[in-house]
Amino acid sequence: MNEARFLNRFLQVAWPSALLVGGWAVWVRANGYTDLVAPMPQSVAADVLTHPGAYLGPVLTTTWTALAGLVAGMLLGGLLAVAVWSSRLLTAVLTPAAVLMRSVPVVAIVPVMIGLFGTGRPAVVAITVVVTFFPAFSLVASGLRAPSASTRDVFTVLGASKPATLTRLLIPYAVPNALVAVRIAAPSTILSAMLAEFLIGKSGLGFMFVDSVSYSHYARAWGTGVVATALAVASFVAATRLERRTLERVS
Amino acid sequence: MSGAVVDNGRPSRGTDAGHAAVELRGVVKEFPLSRRREPLRALDGVDLTIAHGEFVALLGPSGCGKSTVLRMIAGLEAPTAGSVEVAGGAPAALIERHRLGVAFQDAALLPWATAWDNVALPFRLAGRPVPEERVRALLETVGLEGFARARPKQLSGGMRQRISIARAMALEPDVLLLDEPFGALDAVTRRRLNLELGAVWARLRTTTVLVTHDVAEAVQLADRVVVMTGRPGALAHVEPVSAPRPRGEDFTRGHAFHEVVDRLVALLDDPSDGRR
Ligand SMILES: Nc1ncnc2c1ncn2[C@@H]1O[C@H](COP(=O)(O)OP(=O)(O)OP(=O)(O)O)[C@@H](O)[C@H]1O
Ligand SMILES: [Mg+2]
Repeated sequence: MNEARFLNRFLQVAWPSALLVGGWAVWVRANGYTDLVAPMPQSVAADVLTHPGAYLGPVLTTTWTALAGLVAGMLLGGLLAVAVWSSRLLTAVLTPAAVLMRSVPVVAIVPVMIGLFGTGRPAVVAITVVVTFFPAFSLVASGLRAPSASTRDVFTVLGASKPATLTRLLIPYAVPNALVAVRIAAPSTILSAMLAEFLIGKSGLGFMFVDSVSYSHYARAWGTGVVATALAVASFVAATRLERRTLERVS
Repeated sequence: MSGAVVDNGRPSRGTDAGHAAVELRGVVKEFPLSRRREPLRALDGVDLTIAHGEFVALLGPSGCGKSTVLRMIAGLEAPTAGSVEVAGGAPAALIERHRLGVAFQDAALLPWATAWDNVALPFRLAGRPVPEERVRALLETVGLEGFARARPKQLSGGMRQRISIARAMALEPDVLLLDEPFGALDAVTRRRLNLELGAVWARLRTTTVLVTHDVAEAVQLADRVVVMTGRPGALAHVEPVSAPRPRGEDFTRGHAFHEVVDRLVALLDDPSDGRR
């Protein structure tokens, strides 16, 4: 039983990885690319495995940046959803603004963020927030409308205040949706953190990529890509776990 | 058994002398359907006065406006014309003082909260400390003392309705509003819950409005059965049921009970006969 589950898990991870690495190797070979264009998987793997210390610092930096962006984005999205719930006027003001914010390409937001936050980590975090807040906003907003009409009627008849209705009924009902938002946003937060670091950063995986390219260290540049992908997948798995654990406890 | 004693720790009759517990005068309710079409007239001139400590059942075919009457007493809908007064004022005034209790056909419990927390909810919403003794007593009243820590999904439909009713009674409301609370249950469970509710009510004597399709349920529980007709909704007949309480199975097996039930069933089949 346990063995079967383990095998199942293993296949889940092994199958896409094998496809990815195999496809990569075939692609490089078939086109006869040199290391300058695209290194072979084994040379990238060798660099990652023989220099784990070089990757550890940037991985931690990017993880922390992404986590900060995720938390801040979830909070911002949740607060916006509550604001929209609380007033018609705010709905009319905030909803188009949020959609617009999400529809502008990240690259175009970068100069704005540099203007607001400078070129340090705050700007990088702010860019990840832009990516994260929208799923949180739209999913929490719909979660706040999830309780049944009869439950809302019970709260009304029992004389619940608006804040009490929010904290005791609507927000708990929005928790499952908020967790879906975390799951959706987690991988893209990692990747957008890396993108932001690539564009303006002075640390993290994105900066490591720029740095490696400038020293023509292509195996390492590709290594940052591989590590970032693994990190994004790991964040998705962690978010899925968090979701399952919490749902077991609350519903 | 001293069933007739008012022992809810609060004088329910007499203090509010001068006005009824619930008073509907010339109540009309229209629902807008679409911009162009005529609004739907759900209720057409309903007059109904309910005394303090009285149990009134609203009986009638589906769509005749029973729930609409109840929702107006609960302050969830406003009448298009006429007036609805509860304890001498607007329902909203009573809601603000947390003096109304309500239970619907679906239990409408909080799925993440235990039975205990669901029953404690009205105290929290009223901003009062939760009296643990009282919550325990309420769970005991509805026969769920052993399930305080269970969540709704771990309980049967009947158990969930018991919690819903315990929650409605938690703050000792001035008026208790029940909209087909046992409507989704099987006949056996429903009968048992009706007997239990009758026994509890005989002790508390909270002014109660019960909406139901079930004639036997109405006659067994109510002091007065109000029969409604539909399209548009109006009162067709009022049947006083004066049997003493608590009404046990000897009452529901008796001749008088069946005679009234049969008469009301006939009335529902052909409501024009009963129109006054
Ligand atoms: N919010 C609403 N909007 C439009 N029409 C409504 C609304 N609520 C009720 N109605 C209409 O009013 C009429 C009476 O509805 P109501 O729910 O009071 O009936 P009921 O007697 O409770 O029926 P049932 O026994 O099936 O619950 C129905 O024709 C219904 O379609
Ligand atoms: Mg109804």
